[in-house]
Amino acid sequence: MRVLVIDPDSARAALVAEGLEGVQPLEVRRAAAFDEREVAAFAPDVVVIAADSPDRDTLESLREASQNNPRAVVMFVDRSEPGLAEQAVRAGVAAYVVDGLAPARVRSVLDVAMSRFALTQQLRGDLAKAKADLESRKIIDRAKGLLMKERGLDEDGAYRLLRKLAMDRGKPIGSVAADLLAFAGVLKGDAS
Amino acid sequence: MSGLADLTLGFIPLTDCAPLVVAKAQGFFAEEGLEVSLSREASWATIRDKVLVGALDGAHMLAPMALAAGLNDPRAAMLAPLALNQNGSAITVSARLAAQLREIDPEAMAAPLITAAPLAKLVERRREQGAPTLTFAMVFPQSMHNYALRYWLAEAGIDPDQDVRLVVTPPPRMVEHLRSGEIDGFCVGAPWNAVAVEEGLGEMLIKASQLWPGGPDKVFGVTAGWAERHPGELRAALRALIRAATWADEPGNHAELVALLARPEHVGAEPEALARALRSEIVFHRDAAGLPRREHALWFLSQMVRWGQVRPELDLDAVADAVYRPDLFREAAASLGPVLEPAMLFADAAPTGSDLFDGTPFDSTKALAYATGFPISRVRTGA
Repeated sequence: MRVLVIDPDSARAALVAEGLEGVQPLEVRRAAAFDEREVAAFAPDVVVIAADSPDRDTLESLREASQNNPRAVVMFVDRSEPGLAEQAVRAGVAAYVVDGLAPARVRSVLDVAMSRFALTQQLRGDLAKAKADLESRKIIDRAKGLLMKERGLDEDGAYRLLRKLAMDRGKPIGSVAADLLAFAGVLKGDAS
Repeated sequence: MSGLADLTLGFIPLTDCAPLVVAKAQGFFAEEGLEVSLSREASWATIRDKVLVGALDGAHMLAPMALAAGLNDPRAAMLAPLALNQNGSAITVSARLAAQLREIDPEAMAAPLITAAPLAKLVERRREQGAPTLTFAMVFPQSMHNYALRYWLAEAGIDPDQDVRLVVTPPPRMVEHLRSGEIDGFCVGAPWNAVAVEEGLGEMLIKASQLWPGGPDKVFGVTAGWAERHPGELRAALRALIRAATWADEPGNHAELVALLARPEHVGAEPEALARALRSEIVFHRDAAGLPRREHALWFLSQMVRWGQVRPELDLDAVADAVYRPDLFREAAASLGPVLEPAMLFADAAPTGSDLFDGTPFDSTKALAYATGFPISRVRTGA
């Protein structure tokens, strides 16, 4: 079975392709965009495509044009069990298959794609959060340093003051620290 | 608290998504008690699928897509309770192709209604020379753009399935594909024709307003099931969208509208290109542009029959009446007070002959005869 993964997100496409390698005897290729000649040469049995790829509409038109085409292309979710379509759409995946392929085989491909999409999203979320946490810790440290210098507090006292400011304003401590640094900059004439 | 559910509405980066973007930015949704998030989508297929599974509550949609959604599966039936715009699209060809056509017939190229005539001559000449067929792009099989392009080609005697190659290309990629030479021309909505013209890559041969004055384009689409479960939200959304369409038509608001659409999270195109279609082409509200007209639905269905997308046995009237819901538009519009000439609310009550550029009359009471009466068509026959 030949599977083509079309995804403008190359890292995610790689993850999906890697996940599929292990599933069953199949040949997997990935592309950032749909290319008719490439697709014709590879003749995939299944095309897995990201919902955020604009090429979905081109695939829809092949499905339309294949009324008189022996390698009819159908959208898998059309004839699958209820719930799967919704699951795939919400996961951001669509699949087009050549008519006649056993649904169970397609299902396993789609399952891998969906889980890898979810994994990518989770990894990206974790990374963004880690970056934000690190950034906010740096800002808190600088704000503590500022309070220690300007108010003659020790580190613990500076942190407690920041925490109190945050609680009084109902804002995260990182954002109070950022405000403090910004105001200090203005007072010193840094910002214009 | 309005007691209304929060909504997520989808759109494609095109000028005619304006009523959704304006209703959100100008606070019309909020004034109707709706908390709305807009979701920019990459393809019409994804818009359709997300609306069907409920990941979107409603969306900016190709009118024929809403009509076709429930044909194979009644559970997927959609409603079009509001037309988002009239006109705004155009047929553009590459600067190179335009120069060749001008060489063949400079007079025809100066008259938009007959620009396809020199194209027919060129197609014939290329065939004799054994040159590859020209490629034209449109945005989706079920779209005004596909039907307009096919109508225009066929009217000049060019068979859109045999004499040229038609491909589907997403709107934001049209200009790039014209530049690379992958396609020779396209039919797409604003602002992408103007973008090609501004960049010196293409020339507009005919605009939608010339091809079919007052012709339909996008609708606001929801599933029939959603409309049944959320009548309050639907009415509030329609009221906000109608107010937004009124606002968007106002020339005094165009500078603000252009700035809004130019933002990368909306259309993300050059302001000058966005301003072009707003100046003279696209209509959101006036002339009852928001009314989902039964005769428009029947014209779309006639083209689906003509090009073999549906069987001629399909009950066209039943589909048109199930999907197009002028009653919902009227109810929402009337509740807003004098946003329309009262007579306009019932503009479709007595269907008038709606003529396209070639003068062939379209009588919506004889849609099937019209669909099957074209010399070039793919009407399906047999079992």
